[in-house]
Amino acid sequence: MPNADSSNHNTMETANETIKQAPLLEARNLTKVYEDGVKALDNLNIKVMPGEIYAMLGGNGAGKTTTINIFLDFIQPTSGNAFINGIDSNSDPLEAKKNVAFVSENVQLYPNFTALQNIDFFVRLGGKSNYKRSDYENALTRVGLQSEAFDKKLRDFSKGMRQKCGIAIAILKNAPAILLDEPTSGLDPKAGKEFTKLIGELRDEGKAILMSTHDIFRAKEISDHVGILNNGELVAQRTNAELKGVNLEQLYVEYMAGYMEETNQNLVLTNDLN
Amino acid sequence: MFKLIFIKELKEILQSSRFTISFAVCSLLIILSFFMGAQNYLSGKAQYEAAKQENYNQIAANTEWMSVNHSIMLPPQPLMALVTGISNDIGRDIEVRGRGELSAQNTRFNDEPIFAIFRFMDLEFIFGVILSLFAIIFAYDAINGEKVSGTLKLCFSNSVSRASFIAGKLAGSFVGLSIALIIPLLIGCALLPVLGVNLSSDEWLRLGIILISGLAYFGLFLALTIGISAMTNKPSNSFLIGLVVWIFAVLITPRASVLISGRMVEVPNVDEITSEKNRYRFQLFADDRPKMADFSVPEGTEPHLVMQEFSKFMNELSEERARKTEIFEEKINEQYINKKRQQERLALSLSRISPTSVFSLATTELAGTSLGLQNRYMDSAQDYQQVYNDFMTEKTGSGGMTGFRMIIRSSDDSGEEPETIDASELPEFEFQKATLSSAANRSLIDLGLLILFNVVFFGGAFFAFLKYDLR
Repeated sequence: MPNADSSNHNTMETANETIKQAPLLEARNLTKVYEDGVKALDNLNIKVMPGEIYAMLGGNGAGKTTTINIFLDFIQPTSGNAFINGIDSNSDPLEAKKNVAFVSENVQLYPNFTALQNIDFFVRLGGKSNYKRSDYENALTRVGLQSEAFDKKLRDFSKGMRQKCGIAIAILKNAPAILLDEPTSGLDPKAGKEFTKLIGELRDEGKAILMSTHDIFRAKEISDHVGILNNGELVAQRTNAELKGVNLEQLYVEYMAGYMEETNQNLVLTNDLN
Repeated sequence: MFKLIFIKELKEILQSSRFTISFAVCSLLIILSFFMGAQNYLSGKAQYEAAKQENYNQIAANTEWMSVNHSIMLPPQPLMALVTGISNDIGRDIEVRGRGELSAQNTRFNDEPIFAIFRFMDLEFIFGVILSLFAIIFAYDAINGEKVSGTLKLCFSNSVSRASFIAGKLAGSFVGLSIALIIPLLIGCALLPVLGVNLSSDEWLRLGIILISGLAYFGLFLALTIGISAMTNKPSNSFLIGLVVWIFAVLITPRASVLISGRMVEVPNVDEITSEKNRYRFQLFADDRPKMADFSVPEGTEPHLVMQEFSKFMNELSEERARKTEIFEEKINEQYINKKRQQERLALSLSRISPTSVFSLATTELAGTSLGLQNRYMDSAQDYQQVYNDFMTEKTGSGGMTGFRMIIRSSDDSGEEPETIDASELPEFEFQKATLSSAANRSLIDLGLLILFNVVFFGGAFFAFLKYDLR
């Protein structure tokens, strides 16, 4: 007869495995064609598990932001689904968005509010109303904002300081999934490094993070998966293990070069026709 | 969620420099308009009392009632100073004769013509023109400004429904900005008794409704602008559209409606009518000339009896002419008034497309300075004319004093000055103000339209946001 404790332990392990296997963010056959006929996403399939960072790489117009916009229900997909913690974000967006935090490329908060007032508003908006001032201060300290800035109005903040506030809001929301839209773009190297470290910590806490970025080196450094998007299509996908020893920059450029050649051919063709 | 967004909006407005500046400007303008209104009322009242006394003194200096020239004046009202309407455009003084047509002379602009160009800065002007513009300045980037800055996207990355967001934003903006108006309005109201303007409970109630209408008017412009902001992507575009809408609502539609109605309903001008009336009067007089020429008395009649007979004869002719003139003028006036009213009704109906016209009509009606003021004043004057006519008939034996007057004085040689008349016997003129219930009844359509505009614009802003591209 098996030991009761051992049985419980096994059951918990199985449950953890099941949880581990369920993606917190999933794009399933996601396609978006705009009214003017432009195909922004073409049958995109992505899964981000708990405790994973997925970096979407790609040039401008590759479909990275479109993917995030669909996850946040800012636009509707033409076909396919985007799931947050198993909830279709387009059919039940309010429920789905309870499970996700978002940090944009250029976090903008209310300029007439102080950092703490902004954090208080956005955290409450995210459904958390039981925090104290000290919790907000701890979160801001954790993201590296100096305490003198807590009660300063946002209009005086640099981009880096605003990004820190944005990530503090995401931390306090404590959602299982996080969407980051080019979060390190425009940050100085030090701020970028600090930001990357924080993302890593959040991953270690079990968050599923989907990040769009142009920063190949940072993507390789912290991501568990890297996907390269080209014209809305996922043209390459590698795990961190697969990337070991691979020159990601070269891989990326190869795919982008292929895209460029194709575009140049189209241009030549168009010029010939004209 | 609604409460959270409402409080955020309120705090954001109250902490903005835009609010501080607007609050300062609104306070200055509103308090100044109350102060100027009170000063105007008090000086108007003093002027009215002085003119009344002067009229009394002139009458009291007469020795015969027959020689009396009596004028009545439109008494100033406190609300007329706060919402001037047409009160400065209509004649204030009417010379009352026992019979005949009355006409009001001497408008406020006769004394101060500069105001005819620049007009007065009353509450109607401040709400109608300035605060409606402030609403646009405040709200033109309410939605698209948040989109451009990125806060909208951050808000909606949370579990927030569009309905609660826009409802909270509309309510928060309205309450926040209303604070900038309510405080100076309350200070203005408190200033009135301090400055010596004592309003009756009826007048306080009217003022209260006027101020609520003002807030509703401000609210509809706010909602309209938020709606425009929720239909455009750039704040510069929504500001431009808001400004164009404002120009049409405030400046063009009210004037255009008068112009269009003038084209659609033709009304003979006053000169044509006066000329027609004069022709008729001359014709009647010409008809009477042979009768006058044929006047005779038996030979040997005493001279003073001849004069008496002649006076009686002329009076009879004059009375008959006056009666015929009255009938004719009544008929022609009625035609004119009917046409004029038809034209006015059309102009008012057309102008109600604009919320500014609706607001003006509602507030002037409540303040008693609408177009009806002139009619009420003339009606009161005509009622008084009847009383005056009866009084003069009792005093002189003849109330009708149109045309020429022949006064026969007899004197003795005693050298005593004849006694002056007792002017206090003259009946008092009482201006019939519109009662609160009748004013409220007449302004009901416009108050209803103000509410309707609010519902439409708040609803419009709400539904526009439901379809807004949040990216």
